[in-house]
This record gives sequence, structure tokens and C-alpha cells, in this order.
Amino acid sequence: MAARGPQTAQQRDRTDQRAEFLLGALASAVLVLIAFMIAFVFAKAWPSFAHNGLDWFGAGGNVDEQLTGIFNSPADPSDYVYTLHAWPLIYGTALITGAAVLLGTLVSLLSAMFIVEFAPGWIRAILQPVVRLLAAVPSVIYGLIGIIVLVPFFGNHVIGPARKESVQYVIQLDGSSILVGTLVLTVMITPIMIAITVDALRSVPRNWTEGAAALGVNRFRALRTVGLRAARPAIVAAAILATARALGEAIMLSMVTGSVAFAPNPLDGVTFFFEPTRTLAAQIVEGAEGLSVKPFGQTMYAFAALLLISSAFLSFGGWLARRSMRKYTLAPR
Amino acid sequence: MSAHAQTRLPTGLIGRIRGSDSWSVGDRIGLAAAWGAGILLCLIAAAIVLYMLVRGVQYLSLELLFSHPQPGLDQSKSGGFLDPLQGTLALTVIATLIAAPVGVGIAVWLTEYGRPAWLARAVESGVEIVAGTPSIVLAIFGLLVFQEGIFSFLSYEATPGVSFGRSFFIAGMIMSLIALPLVVGASREALHSVPRHVREASYALGKDRISTIRRVLLPASRRGIGTGVALGMGRIVGDTAIVVVLLGATLQNDPQGGIPGLGFLQGTGSTLTTYVYNNSPVGEGGSPEKAYAAAFVLLLIVIGLNFVIDMITRGRGPSWTR
Amino acid sequence: MTWNRPLAVVAAVAASAALAVPAAATAKPTITMSGSTSVAPLAALLAKKYISVCKGCVSFKLLQGGSDVGISDVASGRVTIGNASRDPKPSDPGGLVFNKIAHDAVCIVTNKSNPLPGIDEAGVQAIFGGSVRSWSSVPGSSASGTIDTFTRSPASGTQDAFQKIFLGSTKVFSGSSQKASNGLVQQSVKADPNGIGYVSLSFSDGLHTVPYKGVACTERNAKSGQYGGQRNLYMVTRGPAKGAARAWIKWITKRSAAAAIVNTEWVSLQ
Repeated sequence: MAARGPQTAQQRDRTDQRAEFLLGALASAVLVLIAFMIAFVFAKAWPSFAHNGLDWFGAGGNVDEQLTGIFNSPADPSDYVYTLHAWPLIYGTALITGAAVLLGTLVSLLSAMFIVEFAPGWIRAILQPVVRLLAAVPSVIYGLIGIIVLVPFFGNHVIGPARKESVQYVIQLDGSSILVGTLVLTVMITPIMIAITVDALRSVPRNWTEGAAALGVNRFRALRTVGLRAARPAIVAAAILATARALGEAIMLSMVTGSVAFAPNPLDGVTFFFEPTRTLAAQIVEGAEGLSVKPFGQTMYAFAALLLISSAFLSFGGWLARRSMRKYTLAPR
Repeated sequence: MSAHAQTRLPTGLIGRIRGSDSWSVGDRIGLAAAWGAGILLCLIAAAIVLYMLVRGVQYLSLELLFSHPQPGLDQSKSGGFLDPLQGTLALTVIATLIAAPVGVGIAVWLTEYGRPAWLARAVESGVEIVAGTPSIVLAIFGLLVFQEGIFSFLSYEATPGVSFGRSFFIAGMIMSLIALPLVVGASREALHSVPRHVREASYALGKDRISTIRRVLLPASRRGIGTGVALGMGRIVGDTAIVVVLLGATLQNDPQGGIPGLGFLQGTGSTLTTYVYNNSPVGEGGSPEKAYAAAFVLLLIVIGLNFVIDMITRGRGPSWTR
Repeated sequence: MTWNRPLAVVAAVAASAALAVPAAATAKPTITMSGSTSVAPLAALLAKKYISVCKGCVSFKLLQGGSDVGISDVASGRVTIGNASRDPKPSDPGGLVFNKIAHDAVCIVTNKSNPLPGIDEAGVQAIFGGSVRSWSSVPGSSASGTIDTFTRSPASGTQDAFQKIFLGSTKVFSGSSQKASNGLVQQSVKADPNGIGYVSLSFSDGLHTVPYKGVACTERNAKSGQYGGQRNLYMVTRGPAKGAARAWIKWITKRSAAAAIVNTEWVSLQ
């Protein structure tokens, strides 16, 4: 941008207005597309919610039997079957997503601190491509490694026959479980959090952490108390993205959590970790073969609608959290 | 002053202040845990790569990279994966070229302008809602939208008024949606990390807002934007559902119409990810060893593409505090 | 640079003609197929043979996406043929004709370490229905411990066939692990010594197939009809098949060259 000469205030305003308008139009166009998608999903999902009311979210009966009933509905639209009580799926999703995000946040914070402060130069140089590589491994591969390595390991060598027998009339403990699902999901979502947290830690003003060091605080503590606190909005943003990723993960979880519509019972003690479940996204992917059967398709869209609502709540929660943290940074807004 | 010294605390000085040992037990455990986490990451990545290499090595030959996949019952006769390879590269580039500018544009608008406030909030939420949608839902939605006749220039017209609804163009556009939240998120954080006084200094020098963004803020947040694009690209590379539904997952890339470049983009095809999906135990399981070999090649491509992104967004930007 | 207007017009016309020429040049009909991933390998092999037999009289475009995408595609006219591996349901879109092209034998499989010598209808219903949960109660089994059953999701054609033919009115055990594809069931039973499941015949490598009602699950028994458990593979058209698609489907169901291909891993209708 060579000699344009000094701009008048008016010229500056005009170019600014134009730029703001164009960027705003771009953002609005994307918003319109997304809103269209949300409306589409909800419109398709409505009959399933309408027929079940609040019972849709409750427990009762076997989800698979209910889905089979829906799939085999008679041809007459007024006879369509919609009965569904989706609680096991909702609970399973919440359980696995929550556990993976908690575990992932812990691991990513530690890894980010390691990368930023403690790693020797050569390890740091490999770790950045490693993190990006892990973020790009297809979920199919994670699923394959899960079912070929992890599930048989747990099923044949960790879970004893006595434990399997104790619950055999209710479910089977063949290794595919919420434990394996949570572990693999954590590995999938942690790279996202690490990458964003590392960037945030690196941009903490140097004199803040140096001030802490000057007061005699050791490196770890300085980073933990000053660096992490300053980077908190970014950590929240990263956690939101990771949670959203976890909610939408379908293929890997359907392979590795056993895909049984069962609500794991924490009161079972250690067995709780080995119990199978199924998440909403995994259910959608498994039911994708039957979308052209109207009531079944509408039920699948209802699951998708619930995921969209959860993401909306997540987004709102993140906004609230970040708003209260802004005063600790030098950020503009 | 080297780049490292700018972010790390001057350890030499601290180490010599030995008045009281400032490392409590909790801090030591924390340090060990941090080391553990870092090493664990490396081990997991190495394990994944090695596993695929070992499983696929017997079929991994240069010939695989250059021969087309053929229908066949036997692994040895089913050809290589040239077409899926081209498909991965083409689709990733298209989708990233859409997602990156759009994502950075949205991030800039959200951070620097963001008026009216309700619109900014809506855009933020919209992007985060897309982040939580399973890709199969986006794929089915894309099929519905793009089957309208007006979009038939993006693929071709199957019957009058009904567009085929599947092509590299269409798959690329929907794929960019799944990368968008990551690009927007990381870019926003990068822009936020540029302190307020930098912008104020720029305005004080007489620059208008858009020039400040172009000349000062974007170059400074280059690294964060690079992170976002790399993460988004990772998501694009790893997706199966959108490719199966919106690209067709045909065995060979099938250009539509006579013009070489345009025809390819309007045609159907497959990617390495769907090749792995189809040939592994998850799909039809025809050629599992080749699936692993393809997965290994896919990881090499990812490393390469990440390297390119790093080259483009190189530099850690200036430091704002001295 | 000043544009010579007539020259620009001629150039524009030539460019649009170049765009239009490819459309006109394809006088050869194209059959587009999309749908089931289980039918896709069979369709690919048949297409390859058909092209060589009729000397390139038609060109094929074979996509995937799942039975549902195939059915909705053909219902809206996007493709000529939709491949489906499940039976028609009452609430499918109207006006579709499901043309059967092949059978697919469904075998009950166990881990190689547990070669069950045979099973009857009552046994299948007891195991998959959940009333018998321990291998020690199953006559002839060499495994001990809890039975791990692997089934398919309700929307799957294999599951549909299994339910209709083997289970009848018994409901599937609520605790059984649902897998999304044949390959996954195969993998799970391979990795679990206490596993039992059902797969298409072509997926029984590395597993022990259990003879049902005394009849082994082999290609030959399926062909002769002795082995009862078979599911149908369909090519769906909007209304009865016409033109090139009709000739193609007729070739598959009537010609011996097609039967030879189908009989490699599936069961031909002829």
C-alpha cells in the first residue's frame, strides 16, 4: 500500500464502513446457512418429539426394541410408530463426553505447560507436528486401533470371568466399554486443546511471568498461577471446541463403546467402567441406513436436534465463562 | 536474543537463588506430570504410526501410489490407491481454501467489529453449534440443499430439475463447514492475544481499522491462524461421512464432462479415508493390509500439508512487551 | 488492451460450445447407481464384466452412501438404480420397484477356539434372545464363561433377515453388542473366544461357521436352497426398469456369465 497520501477522516470512515459491511455480510451469510441447517434438522425432528412429549427424554423399555418398532411402521402415515425413551443414549453421551473433556483438559494443560516451558528444544520441535498429526488421524483409524488392540485387551485379559458372570443377564462385558471409549476420545480431542492452549500460553506477556519469578516463585508455579490464569479464556474456548468435537464423534464411538443402549450404573463399582453404552451420534450413524423410512428418519433427526441443542447450551456456557474472565487479560473485548 | 528466551523464564538466574528451595512437593509432582504428559503424547503418536506401518508394510510399495483401484475379490488384484490419493489432496485443498479465508474473516469481524451485538452472538453460537454436529447430519443436509436444480452447475443435471448433488465442489463446501469452527476459534484467540495498546498505537498513527487489521493484527496472529487452519485441515482429512455421501466414494475418480479441471471438480471420487474405511474391517474388508498402507500414506500427506501451513505462517510475530 | 468486440463474441460462443459438446457427445447411456456398501463390490464386478460382454455399450457410475441414500436417490430421480441390501419397508417412498438380483447367505459364526458342531432354531433363539447366557449350557461348545453376542442395528438388512428367518418372534437380547457392519461383527468374534454372531457368508474367513439345523453354511448349500438363512440384495428402480437399466438387470438375473460372478461370494438366483 504505497503512497496513498494522508487520508481524511471521512475517507477512513468510509473504507472502514465498507470493510465492516463486507465482513459482516460474510459472517451473516454463513449464519444464514447454519440457521437453515438447524431449521432443517428441527423441522424433520419435530414429529418424534411431538408424539412422545417429555417421555422422549425419559427411561423405560429397550431402546433397540423401540427403534425396531419404529423401523417397521406400517405404510399409513397416521399409523406411524414413534414411541421412544432415549434416556440411555443421552446418559451415555453425557458420561463419555464429560469424562473425555475432563481428562483431556487435565492432560492438555500439563502437555501445554511442558511444551511451552519445560521441554528441551529438540522435543519441542517434534511435539508441534506430533500434536497436529494426532488431530488429523481419521476417526476410523482410532476406532480400528480401539477394536483391534484395546477392546480385546480389556475383554480377554482385564475383565475376569467372574465379573462378566455377575451381570450376564443384563449386559455383556466383552471389553467394548465406556472406559475404552473415553480413553480413545480423550486422545482424539486433546490435540485441539493442546494446540490452542500452547498458543495462548506463548502470548502471555513476558513481564507478567518474569514478575512472578522475581518474587521467588519457581517456573512451574509461575506458569500455573500466572500463565494459565491469563490464558483462561483461551482454555475455555479450546475446551468448548473439544467438547463439541466429542459430541459429534460418531464412527469411533460406535465401534468401541459396544453400542448397547444401556445406561451404565455407577453403583456397580469397578464394573461401571467396563459397561457398554451408546452415544447419540453413534446411534445416528448406525441408523443412517434407514433414513428413508419416514418415522425412523425423523427419530434420527430428533437425536441430531438434541445434539444441536446441547451444542447451543455449550456455546452459551462458554460465553458466560469467558465474559467473566476478560478482566484478567489485555484483550480488547 | 533467541526466540526461546523470549517466552521462557531466565532459568540460570532463578536456579542460583538458593535461599529457600521454592519447589514444593506439589510443584514437583506437577512438573513430573507435565513431563509425563509430553512423553505420553509422543509415545501415542509413535504407536499409531508404527502400528499402521507394520500392518501395511507388506503391501506398501511405490506401485500402489500410482495405480488405480480396481474392483476385485483378491487383495493382490485390487490395484493401488492413486485415485483416493488425488481425491484427498484435491478435497483437502478445496475445503481449506474455502474455510481459511471465511474463518479468518468471521474471526476478524467478531473481534474487531462485532456490531450489532446480537448478530455477533448469533454468529458465535452458530459456528459452535456446527462444531457439535456429527458430520453425517451435515452431509445429509448438503445432499438435500444441493439437489435443487439451481445447483446443477456444481455437479450435473441427472433428470431435469434435479441436480445430482454430489461432486468435489459440493463436498468441498460442506467439508469447509466442519473446519470452520476450529479456524474461527483459534484465530479469535490469536487476535485476542494482541493487546489493546497495539491497536490504539496504530490508530494514533492515523491508520484506519481495516489497515490496522491487515498490516498489524493479522501478521501478528499468523501463528494462531496457522494453528486453526492446521486443526481444521486435520478434521477435513479425517472425515468419512461427508465423503461417502457427498462425493460418492466411487472406486475411481469420475470426472463429469469434457473440460479437464472443471470436469474433475464436478465429478465424483473418493479419498484415502474412505478407501481405508471401505477396505478395513469396518467396511467390506476387502483389502485390510492395503487399507493400513493407505492410512500410513495419509499420515505422511498430513505431515506434508502441516509443513506447508507452517511455512506460510512462519514467524512468531513481534513481542509486545519489553 | 482493447477488446475486439466481434472476436470476443466468437470466443464466448466457442467456449460455451466446448462446454456443451461433452454433454452431446455422450450418446452412450450411463447407468448411475448409488446405495448399499454391501452391494457395491458385487455391482462393481458385474459392471466390469458387462462392459466387456456388451463391448462398451453402456458406461457405469457406481457410488455408495448406504441403502438409505440409494433408495432416496432413486426415488428423487438422481440415479438410475439404487442398491439396497434390505427388504422394502412399508414406509419407504412410493413407486419403487425392488428388483432382486442375488441372495446372500447369513451364517452364524463363533470363534475358531469354540467350534460349535451345530445349532437348531431353539438354540439360536435361546442364545440370541438372552435366556441362555453361559457357554456351559450350550451342548457341544468348548468354551466356558459368559456368551458374548454380537448383532446388527435395526436398520440393517442382515439383521432383518436374521430376525425373520432365525429368530421369528423372539426379541434380540437387550444386552447384545450392536455392530454397524459385517466386518465389525467378524472382527469382534475373531477377537473374543466367547463370541457368537451372524455375518454374510463372505465375511466368515477366520471364523467357525456353525451348521444350522444340520446344514453347513457353505456356498453350495446356499445355492441348493438347503441352507435356509438367506437375505436378498436388490437393485431398486423408480417404476419398472426401462432401457439400458432393464437390459442390465436382465443380464444379471438371466445370464450364466453373471451367475458365475455372483456365485463367487454371494448366491445367484439362477
